[in-house]
Amino acid sequence: MSASQSAVRSRAEAVQVSRTFDWMILFTLFTAVLGGYHIHYMLTGGDWDFWTDWKDRRLWVTVAPIVSITFPAAVQACLWWRYRLPIGATLSVVALMIGEWINRYFNFWGWTYFPVNFCFPSNLLPGAIVLDVILMLGNSMTLTAVVGGLAYGLLFYPGNWPIIAPLHVPVEYNGMMMTLADLQGYHYVRTGTPEYIRMVEKGTLRTFGKDVAPVSAFFSGFVSIIIYFLWHFFGRWFAKTDFISDDAT
Amino acid sequence: MKLIKDKVAKLSFVALLVSLTAAMFYAPAASAHGEKSQAAFMRMRTIHWFDLNWSKEEVPVNETMTISGKFLVFAGWPETVDKPEVSFLNVGIPGPVFIRAGSWIGGQLVPRSVSLELGETYEFKVLLKARRPGDWHVHSMMNVQGGGPIIGPGKWVTITGSMRDFVNPVTTLTGQTIDLEHYALDNVYFWHAVWFAIAFAWLLFWIKRPLFVPRHIAVASGKADTLISAGDKKVAMLFGVGTLVVVAAAMGAANEKYPITTPLQAGLIRGMKTYQMPEATVSVKVDDATYRVPGRAMQMTLTITNNGDSAVRLGEFNTAGVRFLEPAVHEDETNYPDDLLAEEGLTVSDNSPLAPGETRTVEVTASDAAWEVYRLADLIYDPDSRFAGLLFFWDENGTRQMVTVDAPLIPSFI
Repeated sequence: MSASQSAVRSRAEAVQVSRTFDWMILFTLFTAVLGGYHIHYMLTGGDWDFWTDWKDRRLWVTVAPIVSITFPAAVQACLWWRYRLPIGATLSVVALMIGEWINRYFNFWGWTYFPVNFCFPSNLLPGAIVLDVILMLGNSMTLTAVVGGLAYGLLFYPGNWPIIAPLHVPVEYNGMMMTLADLQGYHYVRTGTPEYIRMVEKGTLRTFGKDVAPVSAFFSGFVSIIIYFLWHFFGRWFAKTDFISDDAT
Repeated sequence: MKLIKDKVAKLSFVALLVSLTAAMFYAPAASAHGEKSQAAFMRMRTIHWFDLNWSKEEVPVNETMTISGKFLVFAGWPETVDKPEVSFLNVGIPGPVFIRAGSWIGGQLVPRSVSLELGETYEFKVLLKARRPGDWHVHSMMNVQGGGPIIGPGKWVTITGSMRDFVNPVTTLTGQTIDLEHYALDNVYFWHAVWFAIAFAWLLFWIKRPLFVPRHIAVASGKADTLISAGDKKVAMLFGVGTLVVVAAAMGAANEKYPITTPLQAGLIRGMKTYQMPEATVSVKVDDATYRVPGRAMQMTLTITNNGDSAVRLGEFNTAGVRFLEPAVHEDETNYPDDLLAEEGLTVSDNSPLAPGETRTVEVTASDAAWEVYRLADLIYDPDSRFAGLLFFWDENGTRQMVTVDAPLIPSFI
């Protein structure tokens, strides 16, 4: 068979090969994103995502969307620009969260016995689905960055509140008031994570009293817009094809 | 010959892979906490733990035990370690094998960070509830911001029973009694399952159709717009609106179910109550100190003055949690960990009672394998080769007084 001859002999065979190729690429993409995104998110979001007593209404709300919109933006840019597939954000976040659940269940619980209700991952899926929908309906990376990025930041806290609300019920413990999440952090000993490392409820955003989460979410959304732009360019750069001219021949 | 060589190479490679894979399945539990690896000067000159007591050596699941004692925040705190202005009383255990049911400094509950003063002594207690069966090394520990964990002495404690029986009941301020071990876990699984289901439905809607090759051909030939149909847009609208509706409805339901919630609590507790040790009437001047490497012994020349009204004798030198005792004066009755106790490790050239008003210069030798085992001898390689510790004197009535020493240490290699 020469190089110019087709490897398939019929249209049916071509379709079959194409589908096999789809699944191979999808599997590879999924696992590569799972690994890369997971490491990225653990290094940048880290403890905010690991522990319930870090999931506060200021910094967790601010940090988690900003550092997690990265891979969704890059994968969206690649899949939309090259294939018109509006699944980049959801695919990335599903991969990340599967990786996180494997890590939390087998490592945090299975090896070190931290209860799962103390170390479950944050829910990033609502923002990711909306990001994909906006890209598809708007057919514009700019619109997706501005509207989608903002929505990604804004949806984070309400998307997680039904999960963490039970852990914010107050408790009186030996004469001090704390939330159940604080109590989990106190009870389940982490020798390498002393209390002062917790970056919660810090900052100067005091004007808004108890309603600080929406302000933090808006700020997070604004920064997410910028991060989306930046990482979308990474995605485009990563997905482009360059040919080297063969002057020698 | 080449065939044999190739086969040997191939088999060696396979053997290497098998060995590496097998090694991955061997993951023994970490039983100690690297206390021996921490720089010796740091252990000797930061937090001095003493009068430690582990209330039990064996404890069933759900039962409690305490670690209690005192710690002196050393006045000669090394310059290379941040001051303990933000510190946290911790315990060194391999993960949550116990839960920390309570911890107190000077009677004040300390679930948060505290500010400690140099030169002050504090009394502490940590209440631990057994959770996971096994033999565990249980240490006192102080985390210092900018300084890291400063681990105290450790003792082996056995937890018996089954972790399945462990319960952690807590009564909330809303009057509900819950088991914190499993509380709200179904809720976590439920919401994550719901969102995974929605996300998978969205992904499935797209990946069930031909993906990369035909779509790439279409995009490359300028027919990208044909890849998104009106029906696709309707489905996308449904997912978008549906997501917003589910988020809003779930948040509303959560607020209705948990109307009383509070933000996470954080802060620094200042003004911790100190423990007043009896005022020392003995003064000690370190004339010189050497560490004799071959003999695993530290020798100090001390000039001791008794300013009190009762004769005293030197009975103990305590540094980095290692206790060197002079058995003629003091014997341990607290069941202190063997590896940290040199019951006959302290010798004094003249340890006859030092009369009131008397000054005497003596040679004091603290010798034990613990210098090597606990890597305290490595002090001579530290950036600040000073030693420090606590000297305990007893008078005729058995009253104890504590004096700190802090001086340069000269190694002797011959």
